[in-house]
Amino acid sequence: MMKLPFSVSGRIALRFGPLALLAILTLALPAVLNAQQQAEPVLLNAMTSELNRAFTSLGKKPVKPGDGKQLPPYFLSYAVSDASAVAIRAQYGALVSSGSIHQRVADVQIRLGEPKLDNTHGNHRGSAVNSVDLPLGDDRAALARTLWMATNAGYGNAVDNYLRVKTEAEVRAKEEDNSPDFSQEQPQVDLAKPAPPVVVDRAVWEQRVRSLSKIFREFPDVYQNVVMLTVQNETDYFASSEGSRVIAPHLQARLVAFAMTRADDGMDLFRAQTFEAQTVDGLPSEAEMATAMRELGKSLEALRKAPLTEPFDGPAILSGRAAAVFFHEVLGHRLEGQRQRGDEEGQTFTKDLGKEVLPTFLSVSDDPTQTSFGKTWLSGSYTFDDEGQKARRVDLIQDGVLKTFLMSRLPIASFSASNGHGRAQTGRMPTGRQGNLIVTSTKTETDAALRAQLIEEAKKQGKPFGLYFEDISSGFAVTTRSSPQAFQVIPLVVWRVYVDGRPDELVRGVGIVGTPLAAMKRILATSDKSEVFNGECGAESGTVPVSAVAPAMLVSEMETQRQPQGTARPPILPIPGVDTLSTASALEAK
Amino acid sequence: MNPIRSIAQISATGLLVTCLSAPFSLSAQQTRADAEKDPVLKAMLQELDRSKSQLQLTGFEKPFYIQYRIVDVDGFDTKAEYGASEGTQRNHQRVARVIVRVGDYKTDSSGGRGDGALLIAALDDDPIAIRSALWSATDQAYKAALAAYAQKQAALKQVQTPPQADDFSKETPIISLAEPAHLKLDEAAWTERVAHDSGLYRSDPAVKASQEEIEYSSARFHARALTTWLVTSEGAIVRKSSAEYEENFGVGTQAEDGMRLERSYASNGTSLKDLDTADAFAKRAVGLIASLSDLRKAPLVEEEYHGPVLLSSDAGADTLQGLLGNAVTATRPKLGTEARTNGPFASSYHARVLPEALEVVDDPTLKSFAGKGLVGAYDVDDEGVPAQAVKLVADGKLQSYLIGREPVKDFPQSNGHGRAGVTGGPRSAIGVLEIVAKDGLSDEDLNRKLLAMATDRSLKNVYFVATLGGEFNPRLLYRVSADGTPSGKRELVRGAVLSDLDPRALRSGIEAVGKESFVANYYGEVPETVIAPALLLDEVTVRRANEKNDKLPFYPAPE
Repeated sequence: MMKLPFSVSGRIALRFGPLALLAILTLALPAVLNAQQQAEPVLLNAMTSELNRAFTSLGKKPVKPGDGKQLPPYFLSYAVSDASAVAIRAQYGALVSSGSIHQRVADVQIRLGEPKLDNTHGNHRGSAVNSVDLPLGDDRAALARTLWMATNAGYGNAVDNYLRVKTEAEVRAKEEDNSPDFSQEQPQVDLAKPAPPVVVDRAVWEQRVRSLSKIFREFPDVYQNVVMLTVQNETDYFASSEGSRVIAPHLQARLVAFAMTRADDGMDLFRAQTFEAQTVDGLPSEAEMATAMRELGKSLEALRKAPLTEPFDGPAILSGRAAAVFFHEVLGHRLEGQRQRGDEEGQTFTKDLGKEVLPTFLSVSDDPTQTSFGKTWLSGSYTFDDEGQKARRVDLIQDGVLKTFLMSRLPIASFSASNGHGRAQTGRMPTGRQGNLIVTSTKTETDAALRAQLIEEAKKQGKPFGLYFEDISSGFAVTTRSSPQAFQVIPLVVWRVYVDGRPDELVRGVGIVGTPLAAMKRILATSDKSEVFNGECGAESGTVPVSAVAPAMLVSEMETQRQPQGTARPPILPIPGVDTLSTASALEAK
Repeated sequence: MNPIRSIAQISATGLLVTCLSAPFSLSAQQTRADAEKDPVLKAMLQELDRSKSQLQLTGFEKPFYIQYRIVDVDGFDTKAEYGASEGTQRNHQRVARVIVRVGDYKTDSSGGRGDGALLIAALDDDPIAIRSALWSATDQAYKAALAAYAQKQAALKQVQTPPQADDFSKETPIISLAEPAHLKLDEAAWTERVAHDSGLYRSDPAVKASQEEIEYSSARFHARALTTWLVTSEGAIVRKSSAEYEENFGVGTQAEDGMRLERSYASNGTSLKDLDTADAFAKRAVGLIASLSDLRKAPLVEEEYHGPVLLSSDAGADTLQGLLGNAVTATRPKLGTEARTNGPFASSYHARVLPEALEVVDDPTLKSFAGKGLVGAYDVDDEGVPAQAVKLVADGKLQSYLIGREPVKDFPQSNGHGRAGVTGGPRSAIGVLEIVAKDGLSDEDLNRKLLAMATDRSLKNVYFVATLGGEFNPRLLYRVSADGTPSGKRELVRGAVLSDLDPRALRSGIEAVGKESFVANYYGEVPETVIAPALLLDEVTVRRANEKNDKLPFYPAPE
């Protein structure tokens, strides 16, 4: 997946696999495959022939007569990401940028030694990928020459790293997990139709993005806002020395709104709203998005006036969206295969296979082949992962019992093969990552019943209220042993639900403490409706699009405290335009 | 030193500008009312007025100076490698930069770099959106200035020696409204042109036989139009514009021993007219590709040499940019010292820094030289002060420094050299730096003199540097035979690095200077131009670079 140089936040990396079902059908039919081969794009053809030439030449002859013989690679792959995108951005009600781009990047991966121990071992893993910009057209000579130079550079690097891996292997004590460095897999051949060029009516969308941003002028205490549309059509081409040849298109349109305010005591408060669809036409209507912007604005104005939270330990409900983020951060990342392996990793679940890690009414799977949930598009979908492996559904936890991990081609003691979850941003080495994490429950209740149960639970514990987490933002996942065992989750919107029937009260500054993982074991029941969180997830292998789906959940005990707050004062002068605004709203009021 | 800059041999006629320190003339007395016809300036002035009258944190000082600058950057880039396009990018953005100073002209909040605040501004001429970005940046800059001012007061209490100059100079505000810049070019044609140029190694009959050896061959076209709006609380209102265009080409290979051999060429200027024609550029590119074959065959330079070296005007410009560029600018010295400024010329005021025959002037108002656009030229600097021609060195002695609005000892006023990049704050920098000799020699005479020096010192050979790439690394270096068989014969050598090119070499090592001048345009954060002659130096060290020689390609290039 390619990250294009658009976003200021550096978080825009879109990927989508719309033809998942189609691809499953075509894979099984060799006759169809032959027909497709005839129309094989020049790019894939040039990749394959240059890859074969490199693989059969490298290490076969000394560079110069008299030089020692070089090591031949045992694996070589070219992963080319061809992406075109349109991005439009507005702030304070006006356009700040609007542009389009088309870019091709090749990731060359070379492995020396043997699968048991190769140049990617341990912390040398990242060094096996060499990235280069590739010509855009069908000029075979230029494509081949670019790949040749990148392969040369990558090979030199691989030789260097392999020698170091061998030396380190000799001088160190036995590793905790001495699994091989690369799994054995069947080659994949699937030539889907490349993604079409991006089609966006720039003028129409520029006006729409501008208008959505302008809505925040109704909320003078919202000090900053950004609305951004990114439409990216990408085709991933993959060829390997094992014989894989894959073409996988990914399309995604995404509109992100971000708004910020600051409370009088200096606490920074922000909220974000995103809309995802396969193409720009699939995004919600302007009216629907406008309503969401107003909700965002209202919520921030309410938040900045909300009282500060006090430390609280008691029952809580996580909304479906909040639960989805919570499961992605707190559980999903810890189920990534490579985290069970490194001596530096947390290995939270390494010894829990076959054991109960959640209440038995909960199951968790990751299914990149599922493209939507209800009417909502799932942005973590894909057809083939970034190691050319076929995407598949993986049942991680069944009836509360841990069954497996999210696997790339990096084996671990308990699992030796990939399950199609090797993902990376262009330029990074793939690792086990989430796609669409889906939490299901067999103990469901209506939202009203769940709320009643929250109040009951609070009464039982002698608490004046329970908490309702409406929205949670994710932070960066940290699992190394030297850090606390906590994936950062930042509650954005939290309400007190009083036992005495008072109206719910919004509070701000809530931070979750203790081990969030422990809270998962204290889930009492879930809602009968699930919600989707679409987002982007950053970890060691870069930023990848993900989804998480979960029902609202009642937790018997959640430990919270006041989160550290900023100290900067709110702006001294009011935001410009406030005068004109009051006139406008006065007119509206009539 | 920037390896990418123009190459244009220009004869030196009518070299020096006639009027130095000419007062800035206000064309037709522009007014604030004229300025307010521009929606961007109107919005900026409106927000500035509001900040000026209302911005104050209870219990703290109001700002005494506020500057708003918005730069509209419209850029186009297209690049190609091995004969095929790798893509294009059109980037249009506006960047707002706000400077707020608290205190007074004598002692204010200014300190290290990064004073002020930066924000992306609206492309639409929407007054509320433009003002909102300025409002947000102003709030941030004012709060930071209050903190910095308190720190400054504390720091002043720690030193016995007071500052040698005020923190900020008083200048007469001007109103100057130039036309905005617009980027107009045929994007598709340039994309095709760079693709073609990057593929000359395999398409041009003169060089394609050696295409196997080429490891990279890339071409790129870059164009950028800037419009800058600037207003200050003192009343300055400025709209100014500039443009830069450049096509460049780079090609590389390795010698048999693995040494990397690289050549590059750029044609550039302030309008498309300044650039080489397609044919002329292609011819230069083919020449560069061909030179790689010569370089591959060229012998390694001798291990170490001390003696006369002739720098071409091209290499001379790079050398003088490197040695003088920062030395002639004045910057605020460290608090508590009696220093005037920083850098190699910190204590050289009125001292000799060059041979008596040399003069140095920085004249940003010089827009072109022998028909060639100069990227370092401007009318008003980035602090709203009119550009001035400054005589820096006369009769070999340092007469002045280039300075913006941060005074140093003996230089209480700006001379219009406070310059800023798109995102950075203003600092003193050169604009168009000209180095001229009173009695320059022709190339022939320079050569004759070089050989005579060799004879005097019984040297078998001397050196001629045609082009430099990077910090004192000759790209094209010739060993010039001086022992008569035949004398003056030039042989290309490779793998050398120059040393002892330092202020002392400038002061007392220049034997002779050429009369032809070379125009070097440098694109950095702040564009600069150096116009310089060839230099014959008395004593320079040429030695083997002994850099790591990478492996040759591990397998042959594709067909």
